[in-house]
Amino acid sequence: MLTIENLHARVGDKEILKGLSLTVKPGEVHAIMGPNGAGKSTLGHLLAGREGYECTQGSVSFEGRDLLALETEERAAAGIFLGFQYPVEIPGVSNMYFLKAAMNAQRKRRGEPEIEATDFLAFVRMQIKKVGIEPAMLQRGVNEGFSGGEKKRNEILQMLVLQPKLMVLDETDSGLDIDALKMVSDGINAMRSPERSVILVTHYQRLLDYVKPDIVHVLARGRIVKSGGPELALELEERGYGWLEAA
Amino acid sequence: MSAASYQKAWDQLPETLRVARAGAWKQFVAKGFPSKREEDWRYTDLSALNDARFAEATETSIVATTLQNWQSLVFANGQRQNGEVRAFETPLADDGITALNAALTRDGLDLRVARKQKAEPLHLLCLNSAAAMTHLRHRVVLEAGSEATLLIDTRGDDSATLATGVLEVEIGANARLRLLRIQDGGQASTDLFRSQIRVGRDARLEYVGLDLGGALVRHDLNVQLCEPGAYAEVHGVFAPGGSTHVDTHTRILHQAPHTTSREVFRGLVADRAHAVFNGRIVVEKAAQKTDSEQKLASLLLSPGAEINAKPELEIYADDVKCAHGATCGQLDEMALYYLRSRGLDSDTARNLLLFAFAHEVLAKVGAEDARREMERRLANRLPGSTAYEDLI
Repeated sequence: MLTIENLHARVGDKEILKGLSLTVKPGEVHAIMGPNGAGKSTLGHLLAGREGYECTQGSVSFEGRDLLALETEERAAAGIFLGFQYPVEIPGVSNMYFLKAAMNAQRKRRGEPEIEATDFLAFVRMQIKKVGIEPAMLQRGVNEGFSGGEKKRNEILQMLVLQPKLMVLDETDSGLDIDALKMVSDGINAMRSPERSVILVTHYQRLLDYVKPDIVHVLARGRIVKSGGPELALELEERGYGWLEAA
Repeated sequence: MSAASYQKAWDQLPETLRVARAGAWKQFVAKGFPSKREEDWRYTDLSALNDARFAEATETSIVATTLQNWQSLVFANGQRQNGEVRAFETPLADDGITALNAALTRDGLDLRVARKQKAEPLHLLCLNSAAAMTHLRHRVVLEAGSEATLLIDTRGDDSATLATGVLEVEIGANARLRLLRIQDGGQASTDLFRSQIRVGRDARLEYVGLDLGGALVRHDLNVQLCEPGAYAEVHGVFAPGGSTHVDTHTRILHQAPHTTSREVFRGLVADRAHAVFNGRIVVEKAAQKTDSEQKLASLLLSPGAEINAKPELEIYADDVKCAHGATCGQLDEMALYYLRSRGLDSDTARNLLLFAFAHEVLAKVGAEDARREMERRLANRLPGSTAYEDLI
């Protein structure tokens, strides 16, 4: 599904990714862990297509297409979803409007018909129960005045509604209490299927108790320095990253 | 100062009116239009008006409908389309513009709402076209405990029209006025409007304006909170594009104790447009326990766009709460990216953010029909307006 080869990237003048390679097959869940400043968020933004994040070398292919040649919105329609570490507040645009506009924009780009308003409403009402969002919050501005946990749950709601193929979740577990973490995990697990893949970017092993990864990677100094099974996450929790960075 | 068009209009007035208004005319001739040398007019240059020529009023070519279920009064190039021409006096003439208006006005709205009555909402529609010159003067009196909703809506064609307008309002004790304005006179129009509003004991003013720009648009909005408990909301959006000019001067005068004002203005300045906002708040010595807030935020949407924004606070009382803030910036790139990462194309995302930014003010309009009309008129001004049809 996703093949990243020898990716070098910079933000402004600063080179952050320095030869990162990663292959994600359909149905797999990958966890990427690593110390602060290793380039985890940069990878997410580069995949989603944030301006100012520039690939200087290497390639990213998504379902056989050159991902980096696509506009941000084309990537969304192709099935890439980035769960933001810091979701953005957009006062004046209601969550409901935003969800519908996003979904229809993606469908239109894929040549699919727009969804009926009533069908959509019923669909969204079903999804919000999964993440514990009150119906009244749909009428509020996107993330406006939401707590940190509500913002993260709202990211998961958007993911459930948009049904992407590749989900890159950037520290979606940070700052969540146990109940919220369970809801977020349930949301991610509900999306798991043989056709969909997940990249979990996280600092904490805790999330991985709820969402079982197939492969765990350590990202340090701009590239993957170690990969392993779920047991690697436990080891990282025990020993930290120092032993890997020194290596 | 009596260029041909103004002199001619004066000469055409009936003898009796010329006698009654000789003072106002004399004042206009002596003062002329305000000049850029005056601090209040520093950024708005009226000198082109001195020699401008305007056509005789004719019928208008503009087709426009008034809001359903609202009472309506329509003026086409200053000519009343329904009801009786009102007879009135024109006391307010304190500068060249109001003096010209006082000398030449022939008609206007005269609304009086009796004690404890609730008036039907009224859509006052002024259609200005074919390079005509109009001078309307409106008077609104709300007696104690009464309520009214008034939308003053100006539309124009693409010709160089001149409209001066004066609105004098008295809001009696415990009365409530919802006052709305849409200024949409066309790119070449000149619209000089004065609102002079007195808010009495425990009375409320709720004003929301939408100014879409013209060659020269100026609104002087003066609110006097003259008795204890008086309350005013004064909100607005200005969204000039092309090479238009919108100047808003608000002056809120707290003259009595326990008076409250809330003011939120949002600006979207595009292309080579120029916006001026001056928000003055004066708290007089007697006005203890005043509670006042003023917030201005604007977005400059292109390198050629310009805004001159100035909050002015004059506080002579010592036990007051006054807050103010002004910001000016560009669209939030992170919000744009967030919307695009969910599938919206960049034009749609951008327009949605612009609309949402301005809409936070329009959302304050309580009368739903009027709010929708204001939303539509703003949306028409932004490119790609279909993108947010569902939003409104």
